Amino acid sequence: MELFTKLFHDLDSTTKTNTRLDFLVNYFLKADPNDAIWVCWFLNGNRIKGALKTSELRRFASDCSGLPLWLVEECHENVGDLAETISLLVDGAGNLPPIKGLNAIVKRYIQSLVGMTIDDKRDRLREAWNSLRPKDLLPFHKLLTGGFRMGISSGNLYKALARVGKVEPAFIAQRLSGNWNPDSMSMDDIWKSSSEDSRLCVPFPFCLAYPLQEEPENLGTCKDWQVEWKWDGIRAQLIINSGISMLWSRGDESVGNSFPEIIEASKLIPYDICLDGEIMSWGGDGLGLFSELQQRLGRKNPGLSILQRIPVRFMAYDILAIEGQDLRKEPLFFRRKKLEAVLELLPSKFPLGLSPLIDEKDWFTLSQLREESRQRKVEGFMLKRRNSRYESGRVKGGWYKWKVDPFLADMVLVSAQLGHGKRANLYSDYSFAVWCDGELFTVAKAYSGLSNKEIEQVDGFIRKNISGRFGPVRAVKPELVFEIAFEGVNISNRHKSGVALRFPRIKRWRKDKTPNDASTLDEIRGFAGMKCSDSERDPSSIDKAGNLLLF
Amino acid sequence: MLRVLQNRREGLFCPAGGFFVDPCGHVSRAVITHAHSDHARKGHGSYLCSDNCKPLLKIRLGPKAKIESLPFGKRIKMGDALVSLHPAGHILGSSQVKIEVSGQIWVVSGDYKPQPDLTCEPFEMIKCHGFVTESTFGLPVYRWLPEDTIYAQINDWWVGNAENGIPSLLFAYSLGKAQRVLAGVDPEIGPIFIHHAVSPFLPIYERSGVDLPKVEKVDLDSEQNYSKGLIVVPPAVQDSSWLKRFTYAERAFASGWMAIRGLRRRRNLGKGFVLSDHADWNGLLQVILGTGAETVKITHGNGHALSRYLFGRGIDASLLNQPVSAEVQ
Repeated sequence: MELFTKLFHDLDSTTKTNTRLDFLVNYFLKADPNDAIWVCWFLNGNRIKGALKTSELRRFASDCSGLPLWLVEECHENVGDLAETISLLVDGAGNLPPIKGLNAIVKRYIQSLVGMTIDDKRDRLREAWNSLRPKDLLPFHKLLTGGFRMGISSGNLYKALARVGKVEPAFIAQRLSGNWNPDSMSMDDIWKSSSEDSRLCVPFPFCLAYPLQEEPENLGTCKDWQVEWKWDGIRAQLIINSGISMLWSRGDESVGNSFPEIIEASKLIPYDICLDGEIMSWGGDGLGLFSELQQRLGRKNPGLSILQRIPVRFMAYDILAIEGQDLRKEPLFFRRKKLEAVLELLPSKFPLGLSPLIDEKDWFTLSQLREESRQRKVEGFMLKRRNSRYESGRVKGGWYKWKVDPFLADMVLVSAQLGHGKRANLYSDYSFAVWCDGELFTVAKAYSGLSNKEIEQVDGFIRKNISGRFGPVRAVKPELVFEIAFEGVNISNRHKSGVALRFPRIKRWRKDKTPNDASTLDEIRGFAGMKCSDSERDPSSIDKAGNLLLF
Repeated sequence: MLRVLQNRREGLFCPAGGFFVDPCGHVSRAVITHAHSDHARKGHGSYLCSDNCKPLLKIRLGPKAKIESLPFGKRIKMGDALVSLHPAGHILGSSQVKIEVSGQIWVVSGDYKPQPDLTCEPFEMIKCHGFVTESTFGLPVYRWLPEDTIYAQINDWWVGNAENGIPSLLFAYSLGKAQRVLAGVDPEIGPIFIHHAVSPFLPIYERSGVDLPKVEKVDLDSEQNYSKGLIVVPPAVQDSSWLKRFTYAERAFASGWMAIRGLRRRRNLGKGFVLSDHADWNGLLQVILGTGAETVKITHGNGHALSRYLFGRGIDASLLNQPVSAEVQ
């Protein structure tokens, strides 16, 4: 545990990315491979599920420190991080001999909790608190609660491992993606050369797009760019290897079980292949809504009725590998040709198809077409440079998302909660409301969009204007008005206002407005209504090849 | 409480004695617990504070302010109230105000800490009927380590930086914390520099018998070599252009708030030293229970948690809404 604790505090003691990278490299050079594999696994965004509920952890901390549970919870609200709160409240008494090695500690104090009775868990955790040193507590609790990231992006993890193993970061990235755990893979597996690779069914790191923040004219001539609709679905890679098909979402989750019709359809493709695309709700007569797709996502092995009610389709827009050959370094126009060649064999009206291109000659015509995005139930355009490679992660210059402008409404700040992490002890999680019959109805929660200075000012206002306390929530005198941007409105019977906004965020603080100037619930409902009535005259239909005709 | 103390718009008022404690606005008679700007404000008719507080208060208020002072423990009569000042252990000259009106004793503590401090008079426990307490760090996550441990941490950090030829820039409030840092660090490690906001208070501390090392004022026009130096600056300059000269320095902050990682990271600091002039959770409980007070009024900070906790232990504790609730942060 000592090396790991040192790594944790070293990483925490600097704000410089390169220094962090050096610390990580040094750790991998020195650490026992059985410990290091856990660090890879945790830093890759994994956590041990089902070990402990956060409510159990708070209760045990209350038992151990002798503080009432409500006070532990109040501390959590103020500290803004459960792992840290618990570390500050319990003593690492250190009166049991310490267990050596991260591997042993994870196995004994985290993994073994899965399936234990609550009393056994309490005893086991008390043992952990007695055998760990005070400075081990925070790193240990971070692993336990699944918050061990420490400012290391997955890209930097790959870089550090690549430096130690003297291999390409992209290669490490592929090794670490998909479902694996420290029992199924060793550090040697991560580093061993690609010819011995037996894990071809795992996805490649996704190529990600930057939002377009300038006029598209600045990108040069339109001809250099491949333009596609930006789908409002679930990004996924479809991998076929020796007759086995797998569907991976961006969170490295295997989602094939939820979408059996796509897996079934892929059996018609006669190659070993990796496709990048989007899973869409697709009613046969056009695109469905994302909210429908969500009903499919959570369900493994869906029944016949939901399969019929909400059909889906995989819209492929890129090909990353075929017959064991990695195509990611080939230019996009080359990959597109390959993709079309592979998919043209498929029947029409099929749950697997080609994502169409938009063939307009100039940016102006495109920007006019973009105005129709909402009616077409898409989010705008994807712009991909025709000669671009398929990068790992977000790289500037290749892919852009040119999204449709969001909806805007002025809303009143009506309640707030203390934030987390860097925003600990700051009222930075806000709820916003609009008017209906002289009353304010909460319609959105938003956390992002203000500058640090503005957050501090709003925090100051909130502290002086608290009008009520409901658990962690503080009701605030309705006085401040903000312009809120959002992507859509869903009708919701879970909320008193009857609506739920998609991706609400703060656009700006309207200091020039008073609460009376704020929007009304009818206006918000109007945005939803627009979407509904427009979908009735949805222009999309399907051509003989099963492609959606969108233009 | 009402006979001894009232909560008015300007602050706590003693009707029997005709004075306010640490008021806002403009009042004729103000008793001041200590010289921090959220307690000692300009614009009052006359001021009363402890002898050691007086020179600090003068710097804060300017030469025209009418300031009288008392030695600790000396009891005077103000109207129908008996008033005395007692060390609060917060900064040099900080006092608790003890007010006795027809046998009822109330203590207004201002800011305080029972933990030892090289730079101020040790806290004195006073038995009373009613106690007005701060609760800046009124949650059990705030638990201070001994002063020596923190000084050792600062020294280690400074040594490490000096070995690499990197200046150590330490943020500390100019009155109280800065002097406390200076009094405890090891001056053998390297030269110590201070921001000019810190310097006017130093001679006053020295005259009160506090040992401070030799320091130099940062002078950006001269040829000072900061590479092995410790530079003590107030946090207010953190976003100013003054600091641009020190972009290569390692930065840290000495404050009780540094107990929370998120607060340190929000300031983009690698290092935080948990050194506070306020009582921690256990300190608050030790003092509040030690006074034997039946009634406790809580001012700024997280008073809700403390009052609920005390209430659960049978003490009549409640929040005192301050007219200007500026949280020290």
